[in-house]
Amino acid sequence: MTSLQRASRRTGRRRDRRTLEEHEAAAASATRLLPSHSRRPALWLSFAMVWCTALRAEEPSFDLDVMPILSKAGCNGGGCHGALAGKAGFRLSLFGYDPQSDYLAITRDARGRRVDLADPGTSLLLTKPTMALAHKGGKRLDVGSDDYALLAAWIEAGCPGPKEDEKTLDAIELAPAESGLAPGQTAQLRVTAKYSDGSSRDVTRWARFTSADETIATIDPAGTVNVIGHGEGAVTAWFSSQIAVARVLAPFPHTVAADVYAAAPRANVIDELNLAQLQKLHLKPSPPCDDATFLRRAFLDTIGRLPSPEEVHAYLADRSPRRKERLVDLLLARPEFVDYWAYKWSDILLVTGAKLRPAAVTAYAQWIRDRVAENAPWDRLVRELVTARGSSTQHGATNFFAVHQDPETLAENVSQAFLALSINCAKCHNHPLEKWTNDQYYAFANLFSRVRAKGWGGDSRNGDGIRTLYVESRGELLQPKTGRPQPPAPLDGEPLPLDDAGDRREPLARWLTAPENPYFTRAIVNRVWANFFGLGLVEPVDDLRTSNPASNEQLLDALCGFTIEHHFDLKQLMRLILLSETYARSSMPLPENRDDRRWFARAYPKRLMAEVLSDAIADVTGVRDRYTETVLADGSTQKLEGYDDDTRALELGDSSVKNYFLDTFGRNAREITCECERSSQPSLVQVLHLSNGSTLNGKLAGKEGRVTQIMATDPAPATLVEDAWILALSRKPTDAERKPFEDMLSKATPEEKRQIVEDMYWSLLTSREFLFRH
Amino acid sequence: MFEFRVARPGERAVLCGSGTSRRDFLHVGALAAVGLSLPQYARAASEGKVRPGCEKRSCITIFNLGGPSNMDLWDMKPDAPAEIRGPFKPIRTKSDAFEVSELLPKHAEIADKFSLVRSCHHDGAAVHDAGWQIMQTGRRFTGGIQTPHAGSVASYLLGRRTDLPPFVVLPEIMGRGGGNLPNGQAGGFLGKAQDPFALMADPSQPNFRVPDLLPPDQISVARLDRRQKMREIVEGAAKQFEASEDARLLDDNFHAAYRLMTSPQAREAFDLSKEPQAVRERYGLNRFGQCCLLARRLVENGVRFVTINTFLTVFDETSWDIHGSKPFTSIEGMKTVVCPMYDQGYSALIEDLHQRGLLDDTLVAGLSEFGRTPKVNPAGGRDHWPQCFTVSFAGGGVKGGRVVGASDTIGAFPAERPVKPGDIVATIFHSLGLDHEMHLPGPAGRPFALTDFGTDPIKELFA
Repeated sequence: MTSLQRASRRTGRRRDRRTLEEHEAAAASATRLLPSHSRRPALWLSFAMVWCTALRAEEPSFDLDVMPILSKAGCNGGGCHGALAGKAGFRLSLFGYDPQSDYLAITRDARGRRVDLADPGTSLLLTKPTMALAHKGGKRLDVGSDDYALLAAWIEAGCPGPKEDEKTLDAIELAPAESGLAPGQTAQLRVTAKYSDGSSRDVTRWARFTSADETIATIDPAGTVNVIGHGEGAVTAWFSSQIAVARVLAPFPHTVAADVYAAAPRANVIDELNLAQLQKLHLKPSPPCDDATFLRRAFLDTIGRLPSPEEVHAYLADRSPRRKERLVDLLLARPEFVDYWAYKWSDILLVTGAKLRPAAVTAYAQWIRDRVAENAPWDRLVRELVTARGSSTQHGATNFFAVHQDPETLAENVSQAFLALSINCAKCHNHPLEKWTNDQYYAFANLFSRVRAKGWGGDSRNGDGIRTLYVESRGELLQPKTGRPQPPAPLDGEPLPLDDAGDRREPLARWLTAPENPYFTRAIVNRVWANFFGLGLVEPVDDLRTSNPASNEQLLDALCGFTIEHHFDLKQLMRLILLSETYARSSMPLPENRDDRRWFARAYPKRLMAEVLSDAIADVTGVRDRYTETVLADGSTQKLEGYDDDTRALELGDSSVKNYFLDTFGRNAREITCECERSSQPSLVQVLHLSNGSTLNGKLAGKEGRVTQIMATDPAPATLVEDAWILALSRKPTDAERKPFEDMLSKATPEEKRQIVEDMYWSLLTSREFLFRH
Repeated sequence: MFEFRVARPGERAVLCGSGTSRRDFLHVGALAAVGLSLPQYARAASEGKVRPGCEKRSCITIFNLGGPSNMDLWDMKPDAPAEIRGPFKPIRTKSDAFEVSELLPKHAEIADKFSLVRSCHHDGAAVHDAGWQIMQTGRRFTGGIQTPHAGSVASYLLGRRTDLPPFVVLPEIMGRGGGNLPNGQAGGFLGKAQDPFALMADPSQPNFRVPDLLPPDQISVARLDRRQKMREIVEGAAKQFEASEDARLLDDNFHAAYRLMTSPQAREAFDLSKEPQAVRERYGLNRFGQCCLLARRLVENGVRFVTINTFLTVFDETSWDIHGSKPFTSIEGMKTVVCPMYDQGYSALIEDLHQRGLLDDTLVAGLSEFGRTPKVNPAGGRDHWPQCFTVSFAGGGVKGGRVVGASDTIGAFPAERPVKPGDIVATIFHSLGLDHEMHLPGPAGRPFALTDFGTDPIKELFA
């Protein structure tokens, strides 16, 4: 007996001796002659029907039963029939986003031979995945399985199609939403589908599962979680383009008394929610850092520079209980605050002379600076940017549209910069990791299709860079798949009428910055958080997919609520963070939090970002870099004017200014919007540069520099040492540090002394305490 | 002084001693000066892990960014219809087993020294970065776990052989691939300490030198020593950095940098001006050619693993990525720029290694993220195709002049002996004498075999 025949018998039919060709012909004619709705499934009962009727009272539904089976078996995956071109002539929509076309593909295409209403067991839909007939995709279905029976019953029922009035899937629930387990333990998760008619059912066996952090937990295709490490992880279930996330909690094996948390200092909601999570995870919070460390940390994180010796002395002498608040308010009002945050936003908005002419770069950078200087709410800044029009030199924001000139890249960068969502995948096919479809991509991109500028065309660096941006009242971007324009729509917003002559960017801006758009607030809150903690609540910060949840969702939610409440005044958010006790924790690990990687039980040391480090070295050595050339996209250089000898790296309006140090220490090249373009990883090359390169050695030996100034006053060894520590490390030296250096300096001959001072500064500037924010 | 020990199995050999000071490291440099390039060190490290006879093995991988067109280069289909076979013709080679494209005449002359695997395929996305990580680590990254580059694994298991870093990437780490995915040229879960040393310079430039390899003249050896001592005092206070991987790594890098910069051998190895002009020209006076030459010098001087990135990115650079239209490469660009450069550099490297007696101990693997579509596209180019492509192996125990596996009549799918990325990486480990079933400590203590279950070295290449 062939397996084809076996398959056929399973459905309760007589053994059928027709050839395959006859089967196909019969199937084809059956579908032609007998439209599915004319057949009555109850005329006869098959094994499958009996089984299925026992399982469910209704006839199998295409949307609710068949599609999930195909998804779970992987039929509509990107590597199989879900590929844009399908596979072997059979094409399904990727992960089943388009049931209507899938229905036609299954029941009508290939002359209808994919289903045989008269003899379901011979349907290609069953014979291929069971390998009764050769199938390049291998075996995806067992003949005896429930799914097989259900598919057979659906065919036998006449392949009922998607119905107009059929209930629809509203949501799925993954339970338990949070499970507490120890490594080695397992738990079975259940996925429940909730339908529009109020009904629900268990769809666990058709759901697909992934784990966000496989060092904490893995999950198998049946939905069994296997905990392998400590911490809080997330697993994601996918069913019929709905996603649900559950938390897996595996507390660390530490014993921390409850009163540790009760007694831990709390300043605001951040501490409440952080401590609640630490308690669940059995992680002990590190004690607060000392004043000197807090001062240095707050300076570096808020304004990107070291405190001056005077500021160090003043803060250390201040015994007022309100000194922290005063410091924070002072920092938020400092002019360097504008430099630092304008620089950060310029990373996201890709301000670079490699793409823009100097006049345009200046106007663009200045526009961003002005917004930061007036503390423009983030939503307003984004609205103004996205709807900008006018001259590229008078209204700098228009250059956002010069950096990305085609609707597609504009759409991609808008979503990456302001929603931290990468939709690029959906340009060619539906996004494999998110819900975005190819149609949504083109609907979104079409919002930008009427943006024009006089003087545009070709390379964005052509000519003088003076362009005037305006919006046409007509013009469409064609969806290449259909050759027709996709009605313009924000990603999951309502489509706009094609004939509306208004600026499509206006509704886009409203949708984008609406408090109801969860991605917008999450994206900016997470970026701000990551700045102060060295690590986002969601990591990577440019990847806010639903399946990549935050390490502390309650906290991120609360901060989003706070930000909306404060009308996107980011300084309020920064103030909240800076004054939290969570921010002020010591970076000194405790035995009970050494393994903490992302729950903020202690502060995480982080290497200073390239520009901040460069400025800090310049501040300590008293020698600034000169910025005289810019590097164009083709690698050639061009003279650069406008930066004087006092310009700090954070004041550069442009990432293409030539500087080896900044390149080596991983500044953001501003090619694409991604924090991943910035690297803070220490490398051998960086260490070689600190050791042998011109930056440190040249500045220490420089005639005009700090060492020369110091030597001119011939201070006592004790002063020399203390000043150096305050300058570089913002603290006084310990006795263990003070003594050997003082000894060396007092024994030195006058000729040796300068070199010793240079070397002392070298040792401070290459120490981790200097190179890291800690 | 110092002594050597091998730490727990699976751990790198570490240099340690009673209160190892930076001064000791200086002595290591001095040792190298008199020719004692730490042979004990290498022996201790590889004891018990390396198959006997493979102790001297090294590997050079040439990563052909963009994805060369197997159909136009080394797996031609002259009998297929015009839209499949493309415009080029095959030529006879020194091997009876295969022909290559007329675009690769120098390959033809050395075909007895390298072998082709014509049935490589992977099921990752047809995106450059996806293929980069798959083909260099043998796995696709899932669940937030980044698996290490084969060179990082070799570094981790075997450590450095001399003062030079064990794993070097020339000329720099790969750039953008368009997919925003990690490219696999890193230590992954083995930690950043196993990241490769990237040259960050173009060795074909007239004033080429490794940036900052040597201290400036005014910094004498005595001052270098003083600086290290001083730095150690400052570092003595910094206990908070133990739990930070980045901070630990920075310190490791200071050790490694100190060693590198005080080593005459390292200085010598990177100095291409020591090569006669004729040799430099033989490799081709371009970035790729000089990287091949530098790779040979590095291997000669004890580097275990060198990866040459043929190109830095696939955007706005003439590369193997022959979609036929801008910003990618045209078929003309492949014919006139890419192939001549590659043909010359590759053949010079193989011949030179052979003439110097190094080929038997140096595996040269020519890899790529994928091949290209069987059908020529409307722009006259070909698009991404991971379903079937060709990779090459030479030296390191591999017999030349052979073909393993075969593609179907139009080069669309493997027809015989399909080979997975894990098999490719396992082949590299096999050549280095490492058992691919050996385990690495993965994240959270989860053990990871060097390559996945169900993958095996391509043994036919060696027998």
